[in-house]
Amino acid sequence: MDIPEKPQTSRDAALKVIDCDVHPYVKDGIKSVFPYMPEAWKQRFIRKNAHVSSHARPLKYEHPNGNVNRVDARPPCGGISGSDPHYLVKDLLDQNKIQHAVLNCLQTGSLCSTLSGTDESVVLCSAFNDFLVDQWLTVDNRLKFAMSVPSQDPQASAAEIRRLGKHPQIVAVSLPLLNILMGNRYWWPIYAAAQEMDLPILVHVTGPDSIFYGPPISAGGIPDSYVERYVTLCQAGESSVNSLVFSGVFEKFPRLKVIFVEYGFLWLLPLLWRMDRTWRQLRHEVPWVKKSPVEYVHKHIRFSTQPIDEPREPKDLDKLIELMGYDQLCFSTDYPHWDNDMPGQSLRGLPKAEREKIFWDNAYSTFRMR
Amino acid sequence: MSKEKKQVTVGRIADFPVGKCTVVEIDGREIGIARLKNGEYRAVRNHCPHKGAPVCKGFISGTMVPGAVGELVYGRDGEILVCPWHGYEFDLATGAVIYQESSEKLLMYPVEIRNGEVVVTV
Repeated sequence: MDIPEKPQTSRDAALKVIDCDVHPYVKDGIKSVFPYMPEAWKQRFIRKNAHVSSHARPLKYEHPNGNVNRVDARPPCGGISGSDPHYLVKDLLDQNKIQHAVLNCLQTGSLCSTLSGTDESVVLCSAFNDFLVDQWLTVDNRLKFAMSVPSQDPQASAAEIRRLGKHPQIVAVSLPLLNILMGNRYWWPIYAAAQEMDLPILVHVTGPDSIFYGPPISAGGIPDSYVERYVTLCQAGESSVNSLVFSGVFEKFPRLKVIFVEYGFLWLLPLLWRMDRTWRQLRHEVPWVKKSPVEYVHKHIRFSTQPIDEPREPKDLDKLIELMGYDQLCFSTDYPHWDNDMPGQSLRGLPKAEREKIFWDNAYSTFRMR
Repeated sequence: MSKEKKQVTVGRIADFPVGKCTVVEIDGREIGIARLKNGEYRAVRNHCPHKGAPVCKGFISGTMVPGAVGELVYGRDGEILVCPWHGYEFDLATGAVIYQESSEKLLMYPVEIRNGEVVVTV
């Protein structure tokens, strides 16, 4: 059997692709965004050497192969994978015929959820957002942006959405989760602003999850290795879907959409069965939930595909997706991370029309595409 | 698809550092030449059978062989190719994924040294 020489390229040339999860890396971190913050804050960060601190993970959660980024995706001019927008466009978008890529900056996410204080996070979030708008979105119109919000301060988050959210290439609000379930009223000012701007809420693990107090923590305790932690990161997604529905968020914000990115999706089907059964039995405890939880999830929530689980029999995956319904999933690569999925190798067993929904339609109707 | 095999000289021994997988191109195909610590050479198609990654841009290593709980035993130094994407470990002797049942294998080509030159049969 001949093997295609450019395996990353989709063999299905007509397939249009929106990639819901791409990670830009701001090369010099906080130092790069100094021009985008007030002078006093710049002086504060310089004085505490924030611009040279590594924000490293604890040893036990470092990647077993030494790098969460693909070493083969490093820009030829040097630097960390994902740090050069021009190379990213060529290596990811051109090579894989991707029409839109949604950028989500995990440096901003981790600083906002955990690694900086509340006031610091408000300043840093705006500075990183402005840097990416200025230095990345101008490179190529195919680059779209899930702007971050400083989630330790919901009011400031809402203000940030209203300040920046009109930019035509901003298509979502990336919400760095805390260890507060997503249905909690703490988050509601952010949902109100997102709904007002017609932007979906995008949630993604930000990095310190299940490591520090602050972000979501895996159920049952702290894992002991990278492998253990990786496998259980999806648990926060499951808890949040449950919380969003039963706390009535989608009754309160009927136009709100939420996309769970990189939490996996095969857990959704049994979760929905259990939510539906329990609602039918005990609906009166949450009378604001006026229809089956299954209906709310299908209407308001989407899930990105990567990392696609790989049962030994690939048809088992196709069957589970069929049971879930094809309206729930949005394709994502997670470039340039080690566990990325490329369109040419993903979900090839699905029927053409259903594949088109997952690679294009579902994302197009979820993000604020203009 | 041509069945005709041919021999191609891809460089001199000095062009291929020990412990590295150096990618060359033969008729538009990317092939990694791995020069092992034991003096042997391998020629590997730069295509991971798992998800199509450029596997030769990973690294050559040993690995932790399966062992008792809490005990690490390092072995097979320089015999394993690790994919830069999902970290699959391949045995450079056979092309097989190590320590698990899998039908996925690296595509390998015969390679030999002739008068200080590395010759691949494709």
